[in-house]
Amino acid sequence: MQETALTPGDHLEPTVQIAHHPIHIMLVPIPITCFVGAFITDIAYWLTAEMMWANFSAWLLTVGLIFGVLAAIAGLIDFLSNRRIRSQSPAWPHMLGNIAVLVLAFFNVLIHTRDAWTSVVPVGLILSLITVLILPLTGWLGWSLVYRHGVGVAR
Amino acid sequence: MRKPMTSRLALWLTALLLGGTALTLSGCDEGGDPKAQVGANPALPALTQYLLPPMNVARVVGWKQGETPTVAPGLKIEALATGLQHPRSLYTLPNGDVLVVESKAPPAPPPKRPKDIVMGFVESWATSGGSTGPSNRITLLHDANGDGVPETKSVYIDHLNSPFGVALVGNDLYVANTDAIVKYPYRPGETEMKAQGTTLTELPGGPIDHHWTKSLVASKDGSLLYVGVGSNSNITENGMEAEKNRADILEVDRETGRWRIFASGLRNPNGLSFEPQSGALWTVVNERDEIGPDLVPDYMTSVKEGAFYGWPYSYYGQHVDPRVMPQRPDLVAKAIPPDYALSSHVAPLGMVFYTADALPQSYRGGAFVGEHGSWNRTPLNGYKVIYVPFSDGKPNGMAQDVVTGFLNGDNQARGRPVGLAVDKTGALLIADDVGNTVWRVTPAGS
Repeated sequence: MQETALTPGDHLEPTVQIAHHPIHIMLVPIPITCFVGAFITDIAYWLTAEMMWANFSAWLLTVGLIFGVLAAIAGLIDFLSNRRIRSQSPAWPHMLGNIAVLVLAFFNVLIHTRDAWTSVVPVGLILSLITVLILPLTGWLGWSLVYRHGVGVAR
Repeated sequence: MRKPMTSRLALWLTALLLGGTALTLSGCDEGGDPKAQVGANPALPALTQYLLPPMNVARVVGWKQGETPTVAPGLKIEALATGLQHPRSLYTLPNGDVLVVESKAPPAPPPKRPKDIVMGFVESWATSGGSTGPSNRITLLHDANGDGVPETKSVYIDHLNSPFGVALVGNDLYVANTDAIVKYPYRPGETEMKAQGTTLTELPGGPIDHHWTKSLVASKDGSLLYVGVGSNSNITENGMEAEKNRADILEVDRETGRWRIFASGLRNPNGLSFEPQSGALWTVVNERDEIGPDLVPDYMTSVKEGAFYGWPYSYYGQHVDPRVMPQRPDLVAKAIPPDYALSSHVAPLGMVFYTADALPQSYRGGAFVGEHGSWNRTPLNGYKVIYVPFSDGKPNGMAQDVVTGFLNGDNQARGRPVGLAVDKTGALLIADDVGNTVWRVTPAGS
């Protein structure tokens, strides 16, 4: 796909927005916070075997997945309905990486429905770790889309 | 170029989601023949852990007019009482009156995690047997001529707290609520308890109270009471502290109310009864879930003083459960396997040794077991009353189906058997908490 130079006035306005405030960018911090939190509470459970931490993880992953899916829906609509957004170079890897995050989180939620130790150790903890490792990469690409390519930046 | 890219993406996404779903659902594997898991040496497959908790609940349809369970040849079954509110256990008084303990689970604690909300919703299908009226009471059935048609049916004790076990010693009537053993003065012939109960001892109850039925039996000399206290979780997922004095059989001094742990490691012990020949205490036990359709077999066992039966650390002796942390190799080493497996997830909740002589010879001397039925296994298992023959105080031979037909042809629950008793005529009584009926099994032609 060809690189498109950014010029002010290009149609890089997201489709899903409230008064020129893009919904996708508003929702994205919620799953990021939840998944990072779940990784920390998974570690706490691994170290203490105290069920409270595993319960925290289960809530954080569930809420993170719900808001992650909502953010993905908003982002996908923006992506699919605006060829100009789609053609920005970080758009594809940003989307694919975050879909991978949601798929991992989906399976992690299921793993965390197990009872006691094996709801976290080892599979849940590993999935939480991989999720948290992907997030800075896709986040970086997302920030590039906004700060460098001007997606969603009001004119 | 763009358009194919987009549609390829859509395809890729769909494939990913479908693949994920298929992978998830393939976790619901089918169980094998339950018969391989009945007896002293059940087949124990390797454990599996799921992505999706297995749930296979029989939808409740109830009994239509004229429908009854099916009995083995030589037997006959009729309803002794209908229109009850979740009858869970039965007790025959010396004068022949029958106490029907109608009981509901205590209120659920706030959910600890999202799974609790989903499981609570699905499990509510299994108990939606129209029992929305007043429960948590004991109804007295008075059938003076023993014809199976009670002359009076009256609320004997009301406003109890999820009661289950009952035991009479002399004129002291003990009721095991979910949180305490309460003593009442019994007067033969009374159809309503006028006196207030007094608490003999408190028992482990709420706020979680996962396994809440407290089975009760008095020792032969009447000096001691034995009470079954089920675990507070499937497998310690509510924390170790919640399991204090649970998954145990407690021995209670009837005079003082002081108690000690008689035996431990019994996940959910019910149907406490004394085997007539050996005089040993026996129980049926509900074992752990979510490690396979054929794990772990529920069982009946004699209960040895001071013995440890494995829960939560291991099952059937030294089969370690990886879900429990910290592990306790010292306890696993001394865990003893139970006497007789009943196959997996049948949920035995009632047991009675048959010492009367009304039923055919082949049913004498052994134990009837009420299997409430599975809610997390495919195909369904249990939902029947079986007979386990005994000789010399030990199970001897294959369990036989005695009362079946609690499920209809579409695997919907018309009823579910729970507690059992033998009435003064020697008939077998079955509490059906979903069909809201007490069934009475007599010899055919009687």
